[in-house]
Amino acid sequence: MQANIKWLDDPETFRVNQLPAHSDHPFYRNYREWQEQRSSFKQSLNGTWQFKFSPNPQSRPKDFYQKDFDASSFGTIAVPSEIELSDFAQNQYINILAPWEGKIFRRPAYALNQNDKEEGSFSEGKDNTVGSYIKHFDVEPGLQQQHVHIVFEGVERAMFVWLNGHFVGYAEDSFTPSEFDLTPYLQEKDNVLAVEVFKQGTSSWLEDQDMFRFSGIFRSVELVGIPANHLTDMDLKPTVKDNYRDGVFNAKLHFTDQAAGSLHLVVKDETGQTLLEKREPLQKTVAITDQEFPDVHLWSNHDPYLYQLLIEIYDEQDNLVELVPYQFGFRRIEINKDKVVLLNGKRLIINGVNRHEWDAKRGRSVTIADMTSDIHTFKENNINAVRTCHYPNQIPWYYLCDQNGIYVMAENNLESHATWQKMGAIEPSYNVPGSVPQWKEVVVDRARSNYETFKNHTSILFWSLGNESYAGDNIIAMNKFYKSHDDSRLTHYEGVVHTPELKDKISDVESCMYLPPKQVEEYLQNNPAKPFMECEYMHDMGNSDGGMGSYIKLLDQYPQYFGGFIWDFIDQALLVHDPISGQDVLRYGGDFDDRHSDYEFSGDGLMFADRTPKPAMQEVRYYYGLHK
Amino acid sequence: MDYTNKQLQIIYGDATLGIDGEDFHYIFSYEKNGLESMKIKGKEWLYRVPMPTFWRATTDNDRGSGFNLKAVQWLGADMFNKCIDKHLKVDDHDFDQLPIAPINNKFSNHEYAKQVEITFTYETLTIPATKVKVIYNIDSTGQIKVTMHYYGKKGLPAIPVIGMRFIMPTAATSFDYTGLSGETYPDRMAGAEKGSFHVDGLPVTRYLVPQENGMHMQTEELTINRNTTPNNADHDQSEFSLNVKQADKPFNFSCLPYTAEELENATHIEELPLKRRTVLVIAGAVRGVGGIDSWGSDVEPAYHIDPEKDHEFSFILNQF
Repeated sequence: MQANIKWLDDPETFRVNQLPAHSDHPFYRNYREWQEQRSSFKQSLNGTWQFKFSPNPQSRPKDFYQKDFDASSFGTIAVPSEIELSDFAQNQYINILAPWEGKIFRRPAYALNQNDKEEGSFSEGKDNTVGSYIKHFDVEPGLQQQHVHIVFEGVERAMFVWLNGHFVGYAEDSFTPSEFDLTPYLQEKDNVLAVEVFKQGTSSWLEDQDMFRFSGIFRSVELVGIPANHLTDMDLKPTVKDNYRDGVFNAKLHFTDQAAGSLHLVVKDETGQTLLEKREPLQKTVAITDQEFPDVHLWSNHDPYLYQLLIEIYDEQDNLVELVPYQFGFRRIEINKDKVVLLNGKRLIINGVNRHEWDAKRGRSVTIADMTSDIHTFKENNINAVRTCHYPNQIPWYYLCDQNGIYVMAENNLESHATWQKMGAIEPSYNVPGSVPQWKEVVVDRARSNYETFKNHTSILFWSLGNESYAGDNIIAMNKFYKSHDDSRLTHYEGVVHTPELKDKISDVESCMYLPPKQVEEYLQNNPAKPFMECEYMHDMGNSDGGMGSYIKLLDQYPQYFGGFIWDFIDQALLVHDPISGQDVLRYGGDFDDRHSDYEFSGDGLMFADRTPKPAMQEVRYYYGLHK
Repeated sequence: MDYTNKQLQIIYGDATLGIDGEDFHYIFSYEKNGLESMKIKGKEWLYRVPMPTFWRATTDNDRGSGFNLKAVQWLGADMFNKCIDKHLKVDDHDFDQLPIAPINNKFSNHEYAKQVEITFTYETLTIPATKVKVIYNIDSTGQIKVTMHYYGKKGLPAIPVIGMRFIMPTAATSFDYTGLSGETYPDRMAGAEKGSFHVDGLPVTRYLVPQENGMHMQTEELTINRNTTPNNADHDQSEFSLNVKQADKPFNFSCLPYTAEELENATHIEELPLKRRTVLVIAGAVRGVGGIDSWGSDVEPAYHIDPEKDHEFSFILNQF
């Protein structure tokens, strides 16, 4: 198969040769590797790559993926990084409107007319910048003699991949891992990997998030060796019985087709005591069913107790060939008959924040240090929950939330705000995904990727279907996906407030944004059909966060109110050198000549962009401490 | 007569009223309509005459809710002042006219009193106009009690702040206060801790777009520390301080290097002028900052400043 740039225009082509999403479990060759947190099955490709920037598809080096391509005109770029922050392309911040507002007239394919494919909309888009990346690599010994996959953890926004001149695959969905099989074209030495990254495609309509608009390979890239006996996916289902005291453990383990040998599974508590031990022959699927855990230690924000699962995989000669360690907790979330959300049988209160991934120098290419610093800030200020607005985050974030007892609303990578709201008015004439059939699979795929990747994380209590995308059949389909795959969590979607007739099909909870306290109270006083929350409230732009007490007070009066997520955690602003003052200063939308822009509207955090807290933080610490 | 009896020496000038004491010297200017000089232990504390202040640099929430558009008259009233009356009382003697020449010809260089009250009445440059009275009561120890009275008037827009603005000749090195931790507003002070706090420099909260910042609610005492003066003959670099204490009730203040107008005009923090002076605002009434959203929701009504009601507050300068 050959790559086709027209896929950029086609909402029905969003993954080509991409491997199915699977659980994010780590795997090692042995215990020593686990101890050292370094898997010899993995080879990082992060570092300096060859790079060519092109302002539009027409001017891109079309044959750069060929093995004999002369790349002497290429410069370099760091991987991972944002292309814009390496100064190849202009920084732009825009909120609701599409980034091409005032420059290019576009409509989503099929949205106004079932026959209108909008061909060329992106493949010929003069605003569609292109990054052409080349990386030469040798395969490290630990990955040789087995299948080798490549995993891109995040690439904005549409990506074609070639290896040694052969087309490997195509991916969209900027914020979930894209994995391809390199095996057919891989050689031990001097492989040439070519990646072509387009800033715009049909997915631009689905990724119209309120943020700086970047592009590029902004998260890690790694090669993954797949041993013959490999756990490809696991689905852990630790549940809590009706007595809220005893647990039941179920797991479905999926192995590579050719797997043969045995597995040894143990579950230990924090003291190292083994509570469950199983030996099973390897098969394509191994199920561990209804294992009783009496008097289980429940997981919660205050006591994020995790059990250690270890899966040892042995070959037919009984050699340990793979070790999968994973930590999970027992916890139960549900809605009771009084429409109160319960966690482990007790009322759940969300003292939450919305968190964009942000680093003032690196944009959304955040580091582990950024993440651990944010967790520390959460703990210091009684923040117990996070909404991953408005896309899945880097994988380590979910592990940190498991370990620190942070309740996660895991949001899909979806926001189509420009397609239904203009100048404050609701105008969904060309809304996607809406009920446009050609836009259904792409959004269900986003739900699937989010679910499959993160399904084992204890911290995730809610699946959020997306942000500000209006509602129609396709959002219903996403809700259905979660409901048919996961009965252990709740679904959330705020956008259904605009289409109340769909409320029984979308979202387990009633969610609003920025609803003033009085109106929240009105909802709660009128026999609410669902528990209520604010997925965004207390807009912390500039000097703000006044009047928070009016919301917190409602928690005492109405058990159906289960709190909310402050908008938002950290200002999005960029640290740049100002030649006039000689200082490094924080800049916002419009400061880069970027127009149309929403200027300082990205500065809504409880933290300044340099990760120092705003004065309002002490207020948050106080109010969030009242219902810890 | 000497200072041991705690008497003030009064200098009945032709354009000013001088008040001298052991460690202080004050000059009220009839021309500049206020306290022109507040010299304490040889150090001048005033750059310009303190004036009523009504504007705060627009916050993002103010902009979003259009509060700046509604309140804009108060910006003019903050920048420009119209004094319509000055009144002097020395001990029990109420002057029906200011004692300038020839009235003051009867005085000498040896005039003493136990207390002075001088009142400036301003008319706000708003439509409709209202009045603001600022009363300075100086007792024999040299402490100045400042009382500001705002007269409510029907038809005026809600007010961003009601306070007195003192501009000091050089930037403070630090300030100390007893009150609430951090930056607080009437609708954002539940999380603050009570205590005594030391603040180095004159920090401006680094909001992306400079705006109202640095308010400290419910303050009992404030000390502003400086170590430089523009006085060419002053070679002393040691720190010196001004003390502000609550009168009957705690006061609110911000201590910044900029006026509301300077903050208002900058789109980024680095565009603000060099830190050159100290701008102390002692506020009686402070408007909340709000937070429901930044595109329309107003600050909750309980935290508005009602323009139609009277507001009065007082505080004490230079109390020992």
